[in-house]
Amino acid sequence: MDERTYSSGALSVICSNLTKACEKQMRPAEAEQFRTIGTYFATQATKSEAKAFADLNGLIAQDLEQGYPQVASAAEVAGDRGALRCMTWGKKVTSIHKSVLARYEKQGDALLAGNNLFVCEACGFIAIAPTVPELCPICKAPASRFVKI
Amino acid sequence: MHAARNVALCTKDCLCLFICPTGATDTETGQIDFAKCLDGCRLCVDACPSHALYLVFDRYPRKPAKEDKVVEALESLLDSKVAQEALAEALARSGSAGAKLAKALAMSNRILAEDCAREARYMLPQSEQSKALLRQLAGQPHTGDFPAEAVGKLLASL
Repeated sequence: MDERTYSSGALSVICSNLTKACEKQMRPAEAEQFRTIGTYFATQATKSEAKAFADLNGLIAQDLEQGYPQVASAAEVAGDRGALRCMTWGKKVTSIHKSVLARYEKQGDALLAGNNLFVCEACGFIAIAPTVPELCPICKAPASRFVKI
Repeated sequence: MHAARNVALCTKDCLCLFICPTGATDTETGQIDFAKCLDGCRLCVDACPSHALYLVFDRYPRKPAKEDKVVEALESLLDSKVAQEALAEALARSGSAGAKLAKALAMSNRILAEDCAREARYMLPQSEQSKALLRQLAGQPHTGDFPAEAVGKLLASL
């Protein structure tokens, strides 16, 4: 399974992940090279024509009902606790997407009034709050790991 | 293996300046001068009262092999997150109400997708898997603006 072919979108993700890894290893030249390759594949990736937030619902449901349970069972059989960690965080964050979208559908922009949007750069958790969370409720990363949108 | 500083933790007690035999810790940027830092010395790491200094390694271990089924499940999830990021980006571009929420969703999906990639064998840039992918990219036909030079440089340095 070594020679698998990835979509341009997947390649852009693999490269942006390796960019971050190089930054953590303090290798700025390599980080920049992975960033360049990732940006190239991002421009090659298929663009979506989505018009409504509801277009996300099907994929979210599929991840929660099939995607994450499949990772969970394969990882349990293999004793792969890293993959289980990824599954645990990802499933919770995806459930948050589902509930945020449901609330937005009901309340519209009133949901965001007086609030800010913060994303945890460690796990992807989205917070809708006036101030940055002290601690990520999903992965326990500190406030400094949140990006304000 | 050289020292690095987490500037957010540094309390400026400056004991690293006292102990460093080469002056590598005393710089105008606050970061360690890697050219002066002695390989594996770690005196500043041990001297720092605020645990703001740590060692950055040059070599990383070969990770345990991943089961095919785990990789397949993670990669199919990765594809789904990529699709959701693209959907959210389209909504953010439209500039309509909720564009900010769409931007947050796009960023969140990128992070979720990256985590799938990380657990599906692309954790370390130095890993065999990462290098095999770079070799595969280098050997494929691409459009004119493909950054072949960056791929070549990475294959040489990793």
